[in-house]
Amino acid sequence: MYKVTFKFESGEGITAFAASGENLLEVARKTNVAIDAPCSGNAACGKCRVKLLSGELNSQKTRHITDEEYAAGWRLACVSKVEADVEVMVPDIASAYKGRMKAADLSSPAEVKIFTEAKEQLEAAGISLKNSLELIRVSMEAPTLDDTMPDVERIERAVAAATGVSRVRIPYSVLKSLPDKLREADFKVQCIIRRTAKNIFVYDLFPMDVKVRAGGLVVDIGTTTVSALIIDMLNGDILAKATTGNGQIRYGADVINRIIESRKEGGQKKLQDAVINETINPLIHTMCRTCGMKPAWIYRMCVGANTTMNHLLVGVNAEPLRTEPYIPAFFKTNAVFANDLGIDINQDAHIIIAPNIGSYVGGDITAGTLVSMIWNRPEYSVFIDLGTNGEIVFGNSDFLMSCACSAGPAFEGGDISCGMRATDGAIEACSIDAKTMEPTFSVIGDEGEKPVGLCGSGIIDVISELFRCGIISPKGKFVREGERIRHDKYGMGSYVLAFKEQAGSVKDVEITEVDIDNFIRAKGAIFSAIQTLLTSLDFDVSMVDDVYVAGGIGSGINMKNAVGIGMLPDIPLEKFHYIGNSSLSGAYAMLLSGEAERKVYELAQSMTYLELSTTPGYMDEFVAACFIPHTDSSLFPSVNQEF
Amino acid sequence: MPFTKKLQKFNATIRTVEVGTGDKTTKLGGGNTLPFYTFDAPTANTAKIGIEISDLGLAHEPDCIKEVYAGCETVADMAKKAITIEGVDFLCLKLEGGDPNGENRPVEELVAVAKEVADAVDFPIVVEGCKNVEKDAELLSKVAEALQGKNVLLMSAKEENYKNIGAAAGLAYNQLVGAESAVDINLAKQLNVLLKQLGVDSGKVVMNVGSSAAGYGFDYLISTLDRVKAAALGQNDDSLLMPIITPVASETWSVKESTATEEDMPEWGSVVERAIDMEIETAVACLACGTDAVILKHPTSIATVSKMISALS
Repeated sequence: MYKVTFKFESGEGITAFAASGENLLEVARKTNVAIDAPCSGNAACGKCRVKLLSGELNSQKTRHITDEEYAAGWRLACVSKVEADVEVMVPDIASAYKGRMKAADLSSPAEVKIFTEAKEQLEAAGISLKNSLELIRVSMEAPTLDDTMPDVERIERAVAAATGVSRVRIPYSVLKSLPDKLREADFKVQCIIRRTAKNIFVYDLFPMDVKVRAGGLVVDIGTTTVSALIIDMLNGDILAKATTGNGQIRYGADVINRIIESRKEGGQKKLQDAVINETINPLIHTMCRTCGMKPAWIYRMCVGANTTMNHLLVGVNAEPLRTEPYIPAFFKTNAVFANDLGIDINQDAHIIIAPNIGSYVGGDITAGTLVSMIWNRPEYSVFIDLGTNGEIVFGNSDFLMSCACSAGPAFEGGDISCGMRATDGAIEACSIDAKTMEPTFSVIGDEGEKPVGLCGSGIIDVISELFRCGIISPKGKFVREGERIRHDKYGMGSYVLAFKEQAGSVKDVEITEVDIDNFIRAKGAIFSAIQTLLTSLDFDVSMVDDVYVAGGIGSGINMKNAVGIGMLPDIPLEKFHYIGNSSLSGAYAMLLSGEAERKVYELAQSMTYLELSTTPGYMDEFVAACFIPHTDSSLFPSVNQEF
Repeated sequence: MPFTKKLQKFNATIRTVEVGTGDKTTKLGGGNTLPFYTFDAPTANTAKIGIEISDLGLAHEPDCIKEVYAGCETVADMAKKAITIEGVDFLCLKLEGGDPNGENRPVEELVAVAKEVADAVDFPIVVEGCKNVEKDAELLSKVAEALQGKNVLLMSAKEENYKNIGAAAGLAYNQLVGAESAVDINLAKQLNVLLKQLGVDSGKVVMNVGSSAAGYGFDYLISTLDRVKAAALGQNDDSLLMPIITPVASETWSVKESTATEEDMPEWGSVVERAIDMEIETAVACLACGTDAVILKHPTSIATVSKMISALS
């Protein structure tokens, strides 16, 4: 056994023991040291860099590490074997996936806009924003020697009288402290209840003089990013919002790798822990602190997530999703409560999960479809959720069709050498001068923030601009030469956006031909899915009235550039609408409104799912779309190269 | 009721590409009907047949080919002999000796062979590289330079090396460019677009959309040929209007049907007949699906395919 020490940039360290020949990335995983490995340790992405401080590692050289970097001690953890005592430094960049947990500033109108809009649109469509949680006040007579009714029966009667519903359920959590609470409050209490047609469920009791808050939790679990809200269930106000990386990332960047990982021994538990204990619970605590809430005051939760994430969240075997005939364990479930999963909110809180409609079209899409409102209009609309999986819904008030394609993590910065999520330091927008080939870009963060990498919207801009300026060919290969264009010894070209002197990192911020290739495949997957879905109905893009784009790809993607690279159909730009994280706003609507929740179940049932992998012609469309803007340039009449 | 013939008219015509110079040229493409649909319109240029010889001479060839070139001492001698064979429209010199994983002959040596052959014969010439993309990039560019003025077709520029070969053959030395893609209509089209963007005149491009022997993934190849031709003619798709050339011999002579000895496979019959049959069957199917030129090796195959072409055109 050898001693392996992982040092962090903060100065802390963790020591573990490893057998001779053991893979360093595996050791890190076992020790719970977070090293980003989107390719699951296949030496494909080059993200799992560590720096050798002392001792020895048996590392293969790969094209991700230059000779100078190798000499300086940089190694890829996934191709390094432990063969002696060793000390390695895990750079902050490698653990960047965890992100700094970001609590949103709710005073900014942009943050709450999509939620207010969703509410307004639903109300305009005749959906009442009422949910089943209520705050009622009941006053009882204190017991005496003549009035000997026990506490439970006493409050049951009082609640029944106040609500007109005869069956009242008092859970154990309330029973446990009932005598104390009633006597402290002199038998005059406020109750948080849930009303259904048949019964009343009492969640909690408070004295009359307390300001009671009935919280609700909304969580969007993306494969890469998790966002959450705490809301006031009684008036719909958003009390807190926060975002973080999905802790499951270290088990693989996409759903397939996660499922494979979950089938390993103890894997299901590890993945469930990663999303609940390392991701959702810390989010809850962060948000509760910002809005002065107690986790126990959150009485209901709604989840918008893809089918795999839903399975891994509730701890159900997801393997059948991955293998033919691709059957999920559930589309809809009403059977899950907070204490089943160990989510740090009121233990009796019901967890609503937006329903799945296929193995690869999940609740994030059904919830998103609700707030896209495409089901409420006669015009034909396309709703696209850009994420690790790209999902497309097409239809109108008469019909809805959906399909999913695997875009890979490129839109969220994965599989891209300088890719990152849309957090501080990410280049989110870019333009390039066609003559000088000099870039101008904006970076997320405070004024003067230095660029570290590129997020999805930045990558779209860069590739579109490189193509417009004739710097890359339609295949994504460099065809012009200049100071910013380099070729490594394998001949692979790259474009430098920021040399390391100007960058906030140890290396240049650049985009390589491999990155462009990965992105072309991602955009090709999206466009070919749109094309295949429309063709299956004998439609073409000219018949589309509106396109709603959702996803956390950056605060706003430049639609002109998205069309310019051939990701979205070439229709007038005013037909495109960016609707933000619609999984989150859809789940918010479901939590807030019982009618909205039922509407989502109805939409899920009425949506037809097209399985692209079994659709003849999809592969053909895909190859045709893996070209900028498209092999059939007549589909993109407005796209021109300027140089 | 009298029978009225309904003609299938296309608004597009495949470009004609002329290989060679002077009165010794051969024209590829030019048609505006589906293959051999002479009842729709008369054939513009009949499908063409090339004969393949290798820079490696005869050492690696089967006996039946050695017999054809008996007495030839140099590759130039073989070339002189080859062009006299009945039915041959052009000569195809394959520089397979350049393959770094094979003989790895230096570029200068191969260029000298090409020069010698080109000087020895006054005949349309196609030069095939060694299939290694890096080596071909240099080799075919140098050959393009050395054979200036001969209007030869250089095969092949692929996605990985189209810039070098396209620039040398298509731009600098005014030769013809073969564009090779891997059995996919979209990839074929993409490469043509890239060559056009490089500045290569689309009228100087001939496509090789892939090749295989019958029975070896052949359905992919013929459906690609079929679709390319249908898209070119039916949709007047400018980036697919190039004539198609398909190397046949290089595929069929190495499969087990053509190489298994009679001792090993007595029930299969004569190895020579088998090899010739494979070559003929593959070539005929390719022609029927839209290839404008095939490259063959054996005189019997050439005679048979040539007879079929003239009977159907």
